[in-house]
Amino acid sequence: MADYQLIIIGGGLSGLAAGIRSARFGQKTLIVEQHHLPGGLNSYYFRQGYLLETGLHAMTNFAPRGEKHAPLNRLFRQLKLSRKKFITHEQLGSEVIFPGAVLKFSNDLNLLSEEVARTFPAAIDRFQAMAKEIAAYDPFAEVPWQSARKFLSSRLADPLLEDMLLLPLMVYGNAEEHDMDLGQFAIMFRALFLEGFFRPEGTIKDLLDMLLGQYEKFGGEIRFRAPVKKIICDNERVQGIQLQSGEEITADAVLSTVGIPGTAYLSGWPLDFKNYTGRMSFMETISMVPAANLQQERTRRTILFYNLKEKLTYKRPDTPIDPSWGVICFPDNFQGLEQKDPVQARVTNAANYDLWQQQDPARYKRLKEECGQLSAAAVGKIIGNYRQDVVYQDSFTPMTIERFTAKPEGAVYGSPIKIKSGKTPWQNLFIAGTDQGYLGIVGSMLSGVTIVNQHLLK
Amino acid sequence: MTRDEIKDMILEIIEDIDEDAEFDGLDADKPLRDQLDLDSMDFLDIVMELRKRYKLQIPEEEYPELATLASCVNYLEPKLKEV
Repeated sequence: MADYQLIIIGGGLSGLAAGIRSARFGQKTLIVEQHHLPGGLNSYYFRQGYLLETGLHAMTNFAPRGEKHAPLNRLFRQLKLSRKKFITHEQLGSEVIFPGAVLKFSNDLNLLSEEVARTFPAAIDRFQAMAKEIAAYDPFAEVPWQSARKFLSSRLADPLLEDMLLLPLMVYGNAEEHDMDLGQFAIMFRALFLEGFFRPEGTIKDLLDMLLGQYEKFGGEIRFRAPVKKIICDNERVQGIQLQSGEEITADAVLSTVGIPGTAYLSGWPLDFKNYTGRMSFMETISMVPAANLQQERTRRTILFYNLKEKLTYKRPDTPIDPSWGVICFPDNFQGLEQKDPVQARVTNAANYDLWQQQDPARYKRLKEECGQLSAAAVGKIIGNYRQDVVYQDSFTPMTIERFTAKPEGAVYGSPIKIKSGKTPWQNLFIAGTDQGYLGIVGSMLSGVTIVNQHLLK
Repeated sequence: MTRDEIKDMILEIIEDIDEDAEFDGLDADKPLRDQLDLDSMDFLDIVMELRKRYKLQIPEEEYPELATLASCVNYLEPKLKEV
């Protein structure tokens, strides 16, 4: 008999959710996590008395309690967590800012519709028809790749509006450059514009503690600081895993949440890594800024998506970062949360992994400083010069992401090619998480749930 | 288990799955899914709970037998006779 019925590689959100599903029905389950904390991309750390979250700007897929079919509420039922006790704070409101045009949006599609009607009067009927079409679209059907850009241009016929809608949807979840798959577009459109942004009461730590507590209550086991060296397999089946310590642990099945390239590396799965390594990575700078230094009008928002050029160029830049477009997030600006001083602001820009990877430590540090200034100069055009008197500042780069998460080249949204079925060449090895195609915190947890339901409970 | 006990047990499982489940006016002959606004993922949980609690293996092709409260009772009665 194997040591475990299921071993899950990775204690991020998809791994924890998968673990809860498996343990809930009595399967002997082990999660192995390389770090000393859970969460993967969405974790936390402490600096100078602040608990800083690593990934979370906002959770998407907001749904009020009682909407039983909404992804958030389905997820809670699947994990046997009480939605009643889960306190949520909805966003204050967000904006997409392009030269000469601004679209405000909230968790009520009506606001976005009014904004489109005001700024793009000729396109409003077409926009509303498209929103209906997307609401009815099945993004989980396994169909060949279709261009979201082509779809948008056929439905809206307004390049500026198309780019403005695409910016938030791409920057919060598109692993491909330039264009995105229509199914992914539909998932993101719903998650952001139809459902919307919120954050849970407390921090990501509270959410992770709740998940971990539920997993352990069902008898699930987790080992931290337990990096995996390889997945032990023969021609048809996997037998278990070997940790870097040399220890071998056997299992009836293995679920990997470390992405397609990571899983291939551990198992010897012969595939062309290049095709499955995403090119989109980011640099993010977290600043604590005195409230007096910020323009209230723009900064009492939750998230600002900005583009300083006419057209959106969603691609890996040719320079270390591209400050001409990005995201400015105020993670404390949600309904029902007190305004804090200093204000936390997070600025995210696309970054080029290779150009960061080539640096020696001294040059890397200098580059981080220079890019921080470039980014602040660009962002200053939107929210004013906030960089003076910053109380605390910290940046992460594609290198940081690669080191702390299992995302090669710091590609936060993983592989541009997804494996929706979760299947691998081995009949009892599956993948879940980012590379299975669900996105965001709610999405990644649903990925873990879905793959366990489909392949590991029956 | 008697028929009444099976009925109570099913309702208890559903309540356990969905903290917002409302049983007022539930029609035993109409599909549970529509009346309680459940989806296929919730349905799987009923099957899994039965397996966990009573070691019952319900093959996928027999899931439709669990569609209504009345059909659940009819289907489970012989299987849970000894429980």
